[in-house]
Amino acid sequence: MSLASIRIAGLPNGFALMPRRGAVSLFEIGLLIACIALVGIPLPQNLRDVVVLTFLYAGLALAWNVAGGYAGLISFGHAAFFGIGAYTSTILLVHAGVSPWLGLWVGALASAAAGALLAVVCARLKGPFFILSTLAAAEVVRIGALNWASMTGGPEGLSILPVSSLANMVFTSKAAYAALMLGYLVICYAVTMALQCSRYGYFLLAVRDDEDAAKAAGVNPLLVRTGAMALSALLTGIGGTLFAQYFLYLDPTFVISPELSFQLALLPAVGGLGTAIGPVLGSFLITPLSELLRAYLGHAAAGLHLVIYSAVLIVVMLYFPSGLAGALARLAGGRKPKL
Amino acid sequence: MTTLGQLVFSGILIGGIYALMSMGLTLIFGVLRVVNFAHGEFLMLGMYGAWALSTAAGLNPYTAALIVVPAMFLFGGLVHRIIISPALDKPHLVVVFATMGLSIFMQNAALMVMTADLWDVPPVFGSSVAIGPFYFKAELLIGFAIGLSCTIALRWLIRATYLGKAIRATVQDGEAAMLMGIPVPRIFLITFAGGSALVGLSACVMMPLFSVFPTVGLNFVLIAFVIVVLGGMGSIEGALLGGICIGVVQSLSSYYVAPAFGQMFFFILFLLVMIVRPDGILGQKGAATIGIKD
Amino acid sequence: MLEIRNLEHRFGALRAVHDVSMTVKQGELLGLIGPNGAGKSTLYNLIAGALKPMRGEIIFAGRNVTGWPAYRIARVGIARTFQIPKPYRQLSVIENVMVAALQREHSVARARTLAEATLADVGLSDHAGAPVGTLTVGLLKRLEVARALAMRPELLLFDEIMAGLMPTEVAVMTAFVAGLPARGITVIWVEHVLYAIMKTASRIMVLDRGELIADGPPSAVARDPAVVKAYLGEELSLA
Repeated sequence: MSLASIRIAGLPNGFALMPRRGAVSLFEIGLLIACIALVGIPLPQNLRDVVVLTFLYAGLALAWNVAGGYAGLISFGHAAFFGIGAYTSTILLVHAGVSPWLGLWVGALASAAAGALLAVVCARLKGPFFILSTLAAAEVVRIGALNWASMTGGPEGLSILPVSSLANMVFTSKAAYAALMLGYLVICYAVTMALQCSRYGYFLLAVRDDEDAAKAAGVNPLLVRTGAMALSALLTGIGGTLFAQYFLYLDPTFVISPELSFQLALLPAVGGLGTAIGPVLGSFLITPLSELLRAYLGHAAAGLHLVIYSAVLIVVMLYFPSGLAGALARLAGGRKPKL
Repeated sequence: MTTLGQLVFSGILIGGIYALMSMGLTLIFGVLRVVNFAHGEFLMLGMYGAWALSTAAGLNPYTAALIVVPAMFLFGGLVHRIIISPALDKPHLVVVFATMGLSIFMQNAALMVMTADLWDVPPVFGSSVAIGPFYFKAELLIGFAIGLSCTIALRWLIRATYLGKAIRATVQDGEAAMLMGIPVPRIFLITFAGGSALVGLSACVMMPLFSVFPTVGLNFVLIAFVIVVLGGMGSIEGALLGGICIGVVQSLSSYYVAPAFGQMFFFILFLLVMIVRPDGILGQKGAATIGIKD
Repeated sequence: MLEIRNLEHRFGALRAVHDVSMTVKQGELLGLIGPNGAGKSTLYNLIAGALKPMRGEIIFAGRNVTGWPAYRIARVGIARTFQIPKPYRQLSVIENVMVAALQREHSVARARTLAEATLADVGLSDHAGAPVGTLTVGLLKRLEVARALAMRPELLLFDEIMAGLMPTEVAVMTAFVAGLPARGITVIWVEHVLYAIMKTASRIMVLDRGELIADGPPSAVARDPAVVKAYLGEELSLA
């Protein structure tokens, strides 16, 4: 009996060795086990930080990928959704005592609404025009947050009391946070995999690849794209809340920054757009690299770590356009992975 | 009334300079269909160059332009060869990330080499020029004059020379142009390098008026983007028109409106243009909505 | 089944379609021909909803679908092919067809079954898992047909599906199209490869410079002096 013939409900292609659409691969299972191990085994605090952030960013990258990789909506403004999620739950917590577990959903819905709005407003725009509009929209949100001091604390920021309890979603141990972020990562991954095999997912890919043909097949591109952006924003917003509960401090310049938006788009792009494993690989490579560069070189000469980082980025983009996932698939089987 | 007049005319003058700054961006988009996200950093580089020549050799920025402009031309050509050209036949995302990466690279390289301090050049002319009831810095008037001349010169170049015709042919149909014997890759190179040279010129013109620091590009690239979408991507005349509009708007709003919202105002303006008339006033119809040639 | 009344569409000063009225009955295989620039593609796109007519009405199965967007037209039972094939480049052959099949079958598994059946129908089963980039023009055209068929349409619009095919492929495709009315599918076929269409169509309409100049059985249309004149002396003959 070959591995390929094992079927799992909902996944038409059963098991596979390497990641592919519609199948759970040994590679992914192995990676998951490794991640769980990383949560459990004792690590020095700064490395624990890196683990937590890596998992969070992987989830955020997967969220971005729903819009960017599957719908073809390249957004450089996703930090706005991150911020909306983070601020909504935090404001509810700080000003109204609402538990973050509940506030998380309010924040997610607010982000989803913002995502839908963005998609509708920018529906007709293509290519760089769309990208620039997302940049502009995110900046509007940032400046708005910066100036709405009564709610957001303005430039002084907003702090969460570090009283640890499960109800408050504040933990003393970094391992607990790592578990939380891993949970988020797994959820985003599961959503992505479900999307890939679903009717809606097929429509999304069709609209991305050829809008006219999709229309001729009865697909409404506006509706499909708006849904994708809303879902992407929703997942990003959840990540924002989780981040707020981890970092315990929010500040618009830091949370809704163009640098963060860039990062959220970069990770899936380097990892491989339009695949489930891509954004995860991207985050697993780039986030530790970025944190380590910042830690060891950030003081040597201001800006050196970013110089290296951006140079690496340019090289990767020019020579590995289908990202790490593409390179992985080529190593494994000789053909590009079925997206 | 005089205040209003002063603001409006100053706005027009700075607008001409902004237009010069944006011309390279719109030209590159019109021909290569690429948005150079590092445009602001090219400006920064030119400004540092002008500053360096002023400090080291005592050259005033206008004289320095004789060196900075060709240098930026070469720099643009280099960037095109190394980064833009390899990215052109790949998915559009690649060139977006590559130019963004370049932007971050240049900002931080500048930070490392020049530190975060603000640098200025000494004013070229001591006093302001009086025209009627208004006073204008001489550098402002000269900058506007240079911006206007460039618009006229570029218009002539595009319309009357062989290079201009080749560029127009490439814009309309790159494949057909190649079949006609037009060396399209070289047109791309010349356009990108030329656009960079224009940015270099505007950097020299702006140096007497603004300070330079590593992230100075971020402020101005926003203005450039708004001008370019307002005037229409790919239109030189549109850049001038857009530049003047934005210059006047900025001049008036900096006086009448609270500064906190100044930047936000530009973003909202940008979004409004995108929603209402994404092709801009003089832009190629359909560029924003039907899509650029992929 | 389909009724068009006084359809009018211009591109600037160019009258692409002028005062065109026609009816198509269920089960017909209607051919639409005309010299280059006659307005065939425009008329085609108007029916398919890719263009909104400036004037006139389109009635399909009793409903006024004038000005409906393309995706609504598709959902109501009209399927179309594209003259230059537009496959979903990052999906495989069967997945291309599944997108269309998912319009009718909401379950992915059932859509896959329908897609497999459709591929067998047009003879593309061997290429089911292949990436679209490996297909030749002829096979891509067959994929276009498969995608349209998978929607189980009542009216099928073909746009020059013979262009670029080799004679053997033309014969196979012609026989296939000829069999469609028997399966309950009405066909409107825009075509340049005249001998194929003249052989199989039950009725031919001729457009010239945006206007309908002939409408009747192939034999009559072929001898119509206005039609011959429109093609500038090209002798049409039933092959």
